[in-house]
Amino acid sequence: MSMRARTGKAIKRAPRDTAHEGFLTHARSRWLKIAAAISILAIIAYEMVDQQPRANGGTALGYTLGTIGALMIVWLSLIGLRKRIITSRPFSLKAWTSAHVYLGLSLIVIGTLHTGFQLGWNVHTLAYVLMMFVILSGIYGIIVYARLPEQLSANRNEATQPQMLEAIRALDRQLDTAAQPLGKDEADIVRLSLEETDIGGNLWQRLTGRQPNCGTARARDAVQVRVNAQMRTGKPDQRLTQILFLLERKDAALAQARRHIRMKTQLEIWLYIHVPATIALLAALTAHILSVFLYW
Amino acid sequence: MSFVVRQIAKRADGGDIIRTRTLDAAEITIGRGTDCDIQLPDLGVMLRHARLSQLLDGTVAIEATGGIPLEINGQFVSRADLDVSGNPAIDIASHRLTLGRGETPGAIAITAERVIAASDSADADAETGIFSLKETMPSKRSLAWGLALLILVTCLALPLWLMSSRSADLPAEMVAAAAHPPATASRLVPVNATPVADKGSMKPDIVWSSGALSTAHAGLSNNCGACHQAAFVSVTDSACAACHKPESTPDHAAHDRMERGRLASTGLIAEVHKGLNLPEGRCASCHKEHEGPNGALMVATSFCTDCHTGLSTRLRDTKIANVPGWDKHPQFSPTIVATPSLKNPLFQRVSLGTKPHENSGLVYPHDIHQSATNAVTNMALKQGLPTKDGALGCNYCHQPDSDGVRFKQISMEDNCAACHDLAFASDGGVVRTLPHGKPQQVAGIVRDFYLSQALSPRAGVQRLAFERRQVGRMAELEAADLRITSVGDARARGDKAIAAIFSKGGVCADCHGIANTGASNMAERYAIEPVTLADHYLPKGSFPHNKHLTYDGKTGDAACIACHKGATTSKLSSDLLLPSVSQCRDCHGASKPLIGPVTKVSGSCNTCHGFHYGKGGQGGDNGVPVGHTPVATIPKVADADRAIPDRRTLALVDR
Repeated sequence: MSMRARTGKAIKRAPRDTAHEGFLTHARSRWLKIAAAISILAIIAYEMVDQQPRANGGTALGYTLGTIGALMIVWLSLIGLRKRIITSRPFSLKAWTSAHVYLGLSLIVIGTLHTGFQLGWNVHTLAYVLMMFVILSGIYGIIVYARLPEQLSANRNEATQPQMLEAIRALDRQLDTAAQPLGKDEADIVRLSLEETDIGGNLWQRLTGRQPNCGTARARDAVQVRVNAQMRTGKPDQRLTQILFLLERKDAALAQARRHIRMKTQLEIWLYIHVPATIALLAALTAHILSVFLYW
Repeated sequence: MSFVVRQIAKRADGGDIIRTRTLDAAEITIGRGTDCDIQLPDLGVMLRHARLSQLLDGTVAIEATGGIPLEINGQFVSRADLDVSGNPAIDIASHRLTLGRGETPGAIAITAERVIAASDSADADAETGIFSLKETMPSKRSLAWGLALLILVTCLALPLWLMSSRSADLPAEMVAAAAHPPATASRLVPVNATPVADKGSMKPDIVWSSGALSTAHAGLSNNCGACHQAAFVSVTDSACAACHKPESTPDHAAHDRMERGRLASTGLIAEVHKGLNLPEGRCASCHKEHEGPNGALMVATSFCTDCHTGLSTRLRDTKIANVPGWDKHPQFSPTIVATPSLKNPLFQRVSLGTKPHENSGLVYPHDIHQSATNAVTNMALKQGLPTKDGALGCNYCHQPDSDGVRFKQISMEDNCAACHDLAFASDGGVVRTLPHGKPQQVAGIVRDFYLSQALSPRAGVQRLAFERRQVGRMAELEAADLRITSVGDARARGDKAIAAIFSKGGVCADCHGIANTGASNMAERYAIEPVTLADHYLPKGSFPHNKHLTYDGKTGDAACIACHKGATTSKLSSDLLLPSVSQCRDCHGASKPLIGPVTKVSGSCNTCHGFHYGKGGQGGDNGVPVGHTPVATIPKVADADRAIPDRRTLALVDR
């Protein structure tokens, strides 16, 4: 890529279909077919070859499957490099992603048959478990990528992230102003909302989008109690009803932002497993292969 | 007496707005309330938070009026006198008031500003922190590095460090256990050694173990270096031989013959083995470890057939037939008696395919003894012998040996004498019998009997007939015959009786061939032809009879006869009643069919055959007549006078 850039030649654009074709169905699911063929071939070989004394990574077929699997793992992890390089050759990023997904799935078959279902507490099984973690997190990633963006867009309702934040902050300013004339107790209630509202929260709160202890909810409930009490004896304090109104609006704005955060977190979280587990897998794979030959 | 108040507020663009007012009063109020002299718009501030009074001596008194202590120069107080020349700072919620001397004499300057921002500014950083996981999770990069480093240290660096610093020491008790020859050398069922307890603490290289060691080797689980002695060098035979000495684990055949017999791999496979430093033909080539409790003993059939397929093309002088696999296993060649002899019986290996006949020297028609309707079964019932379905049971003669694999030796005394009792006379209620296996003694006893009865006849002595008595001839008449004789008559009749005993129809000839030597001395005239019974027809393999007690739903004698066909109809002892290899294939199949489930029980080589038998043992191609118990294990013969030499002794002479 950089060579072309230096020589000043234009990068030839890859021919594209006008209609959008996702990476899952790329080139009429070419990689799906290739991966399925590889998996079926591996299963047939596993069934046909009489592995003695038992099937595992130490038989001829075991070593063959292991070599194929290791090469695939290395290639699959290279998508991290490939996606940082803007080029259409030798494969477009979409083709590469398609191959990444399907070959990665076929690794379930190849890796499992390589183990011969012989697992234990050792570096070899560690590599297998990490591989399965990576693949399962990848499957999760594909599922959320297929489902969530639509919901995300619907929830956003044309608002951008800064607009969502600004809406909340505008309400905070109004609350601050509206609470100025109030006495300490009531001012403290408003401060709950202003100071103890964490929009995102911790990882669990982000994943669930739920914060039952949120300062705004607590403030709203407390103000509601006071307004209700005043309504029983007469007309409620105008300033408090104004604040209750603002708190309810803030609560709604927070709910929208938190739904947004929940979906964004679900979209992001798998990479926090997929990528570190891949690097850990490469380390475990190195130890796995080296140890086999060290203790040959 | 005045206060000059400078209130500083932030503009949206970051600049300051400063408002300065002069309050001509000795006392001012501070609070959130709109009526306060200094209004602080912060919900943390009380409506009336504090009162500031100017005193005559130029100091300022401050007093909390909202019930919340004031923070002055870092200390919480409810009231204080302040020297303004020291520029004291009063913190009220998010605001700070700094006092100082005013420009005009007697005036107090107060600077009020917000020191804690009202709320987060809506910048890009805040947005990223709120909407992405960047600030909630450790970065992917640090997670990746951390995990990778942890794995590399625990799973690679630590074991490597241990590897470079260890010294292998073999548990003495394991070495001792391995040095003992297995108690059952001819048994194919592995002897399960007692696992030796792990020694010492866990070693880091345990993480490299691909699976549990076999039971016998469990004591080495924490001692990788005992076998894996050098990096990148596959486990050598010398590592095995450190415990398994050749005496206890003999080679299958001589080393050079093994080398010549092996089909060396060629091409890619040979290159792979060479390239990966994985020589073939090592102990570990067959005995794969780390495969669980029975691992090291699970030897693949292919490890045998690798050599035994086309063995004769590589080892041209071999006497062993080629065996490409169980499906093409050659017909059994039992070791049968060709010439019986008391001293030098001749054994021969003959394929069942040639329908061979054995010459044991014994007369034994199975059909008569297995009938349910003849005199034999009557006799058996009278004697109280075990019968099955009316016929004498197989196991009356063929009694399982102590471990149930084969059978006890058949002897006249144990298996024949109940019916064939050799009684020849009754003497006052005592039955006199002839000694078995001592023909000269027999002749002497019979002659003496006739002579003594002629010279000094006693009442109550009666000759019992060996030969069938003629119909109508009375036993009493025969008895009288014994008495009314001269001495010469008695001798002639004694010789006649001896001749009858040893002739066709006589008691000996029931079971034995008898040679007439023509000697004038009657005691030397008749010789019993020797008998040799084979004790192990298929000695190169093992067939545990006790694991084959049923066949196709049949049990008991029916199961015996299912394989040993013809056992009820055979008229001649020369008939070989051994099942052929195809009989075994009824149940035993290839260990794994190409496709589909396993339908037959294992048919791997080690189902029947062993490997480490060594010279004189059962395996190998050593040319020694097969099938005979090694000298050392022959039990002492209790009865030194037993007439027929023990068959096992016969077998030994064969060596």
